Amino acid sequence: MEAIFEPRSVAVYGASRDERKLGHVLLRNVTTGGFGGRVVAVNPGAAEVLGLPAVPALEEPVDLALVSVPAAAAQAAVADAARAGCRAAIVLASGFGETGEAGRAVEQRLAALAGEAGMRLVGPNCMGVVSRHGDGWLNGSYFWRLPEPTPRNPHPRVPPAERGGWSPAISWGPRERPGGVSLVSQSGAFGGMFFAEARRRGLGVARFLSVGNCADVTESDALEWLAGDGATAVVGLFVEAFQDGRRFVAAAERCEKPVVVLKAGKGRAGARAAASHTGSLAGRHGAARAAFARAGVVEADTADDFFDALQALAALPRAGRCVAVLTISGGPAVLAADAAERLGLRLPPPGPATVRLVRELAPPFAAAGNPIDLTPQCPPEGFPPAIAAVFDDPAFDGVLVVNCGLDVPEFGRGVAAAARRTGKPVAAFVLDVPAVEAELAAAGIPVLGSPERAAAAYAAVATR
Amino acid sequence: MRSLTEWESKALLGDVPRPREALTRTRAEAVAFAASVGGPVVAKASGIVHKTEHHGVRVGADVAAVWDQLAALGDGTVLVAERLHGELELIAGGVRDPQFGPIVSIGLGGVAAEVLQDVAFLLAPTARGELDSAIARLRSAPLFDGHRGRPPVDRGQLQRILDAIGGLLVGDPDVVEVDVNPVLVAGGCPFVVDALVVRAR
Repeated sequence: MEAIFEPRSVAVYGASRDERKLGHVLLRNVTTGGFGGRVVAVNPGAAEVLGLPAVPALEEPVDLALVSVPAAAAQAAVADAARAGCRAAIVLASGFGETGEAGRAVEQRLAALAGEAGMRLVGPNCMGVVSRHGDGWLNGSYFWRLPEPTPRNPHPRVPPAERGGWSPAISWGPRERPGGVSLVSQSGAFGGMFFAEARRRGLGVARFLSVGNCADVTESDALEWLAGDGATAVVGLFVEAFQDGRRFVAAAERCEKPVVVLKAGKGRAGARAAASHTGSLAGRHGAARAAFARAGVVEADTADDFFDALQALAALPRAGRCVAVLTISGGPAVLAADAAERLGLRLPPPGPATVRLVRELAPPFAAAGNPIDLTPQCPPEGFPPAIAAVFDDPAFDGVLVVNCGLDVPEFGRGVAAAARRTGKPVAAFVLDVPAVEAELAAAGIPVLGSPERAAAAYAAVATR
Repeated sequence: MRSLTEWESKALLGDVPRPREALTRTRAEAVAFAASVGGPVVAKASGIVHKTEHHGVRVGADVAAVWDQLAALGDGTVLVAERLHGELELIAGGVRDPQFGPIVSIGLGGVAAEVLQDVAFLLAPTARGELDSAIARLRSAPLFDGHRGRPPVDRGQLQRILDAIGGLLVGDPDVVEVDVNPVLVAGGCPFVVDALVVRAR
């Protein structure tokens, strides 16, 4: 598995001189992404491709063979990589098990060929691998646009004191962003969504593996490796069908890092006919839900939930379920509080010391319950001490921040400073407040797209 | 696919709380058993699925009067059981999932069950504490904890029923599905009132 994520040398089968061919895109991605190791182009019909000398067959082994040839030629390429002694191969070509029985048989032969040579095989029918390599990427994929690489391990995390007890160092510099998100996907196209979301949200990506038809390497193999990977802090999985459900459960139980799962295909359509009441109630998703409960993973219902949870878990330590909703915006804060309660979070009232300080610093009509509404009429210099009092209140494990339209830098600075000092997790929803948002972003506080999504992001880091 | 009879299914579940009941082969046997129960009984046709829809379940009936009819409706035998009065109807079951293997379920039973679909699933065999957290996830969780002065559902006995269902699926690859419907809670104790085991062959 190490040869897949951290190869020192790579070969590209099907490295074409034709810019329109995927094999050309793949070689260009490998050579321009920042991979510093040896790259070999394999093409029997060309002497050189993209300035690299091309060979008709491998003369010496590489760690990772990337196979981008038509399905009919894939077997010969895999056989060549196996003969040369490569440690792993990724077959990006399509036209195998996803097309039917005949394709499945070919796919099984590929896996057997690799297995006999002691070579791991990823795919077929996948988008490849993207992995941090020094200051750049090993881009062994067809993806055209990746996020900016973040500094390696930007948040050195202290080892977990107990299971699920990750806590990031809270000394984020202004240029640092949450990092260490890795994705394993059974869908290649979902990888495109992942990279787009990572760019949009400024998420640091560590690894991406498209496992395709899982002829050999499955989502559980990848999860097991990522559990021990120093660059990975959070693992996301997009799954259509688990290859070996119980093995996944065991791997997730052993993984001390947070795992977020998005499972497609939960609907009733296509569910098998059940002879019993229980069978029809279980549908297609009852067993997966039971498995996720045992495995202790965060289950996302939608793509938005999935990326929100990854963003929150990459940025925030795990914490308890008692939250303060801290705001200057009444209605939206109540929406956040409603969502928090629905998600099983608790909203205790603030302690007497907090109430006293809020009464002192904010106008008399401010609300010192939960939500705690300091109101837009709170003098700017009142925000930092009032906010600090909320963060310091032992009643709260964390804070939801809601600010619609009051772009007072003191508000943002107060939240950022209190979050850094106390280490309590914060998720925020803010609207049209660039100065506040910049303060929150610099402190690594995740800003979500609605009050409800901020509550859900917090719920993802709340321990059950 | 082969559906076992209620009597066979319950026998496979082994030692779980059940009403006093007997599979009777003659009317005289049934009358004698009903007399030994002493109170109202339920008489059920044996060996047909969807007994209730086929009028194969007679509650509080005179066993002597309905025996021949029920025997003819089913396989020639009649199951006679003590009639229990419970405070809560539950549904339990198990199924073999293609990706995750044996799972068991527990949830709210009765007429509302099909509409509300308030059922939690657990991997079988269940791990310590999983039944409690599965029940906590149900909307009907307060009913399990003794709503309006009723006794709480005996979790130990419920666990035994789920263990029996899970054990069947784990131990015999030919068992495809198990329905235990209803599980009637009487005085806090869950009783297996009806059961169905479906085997591949």
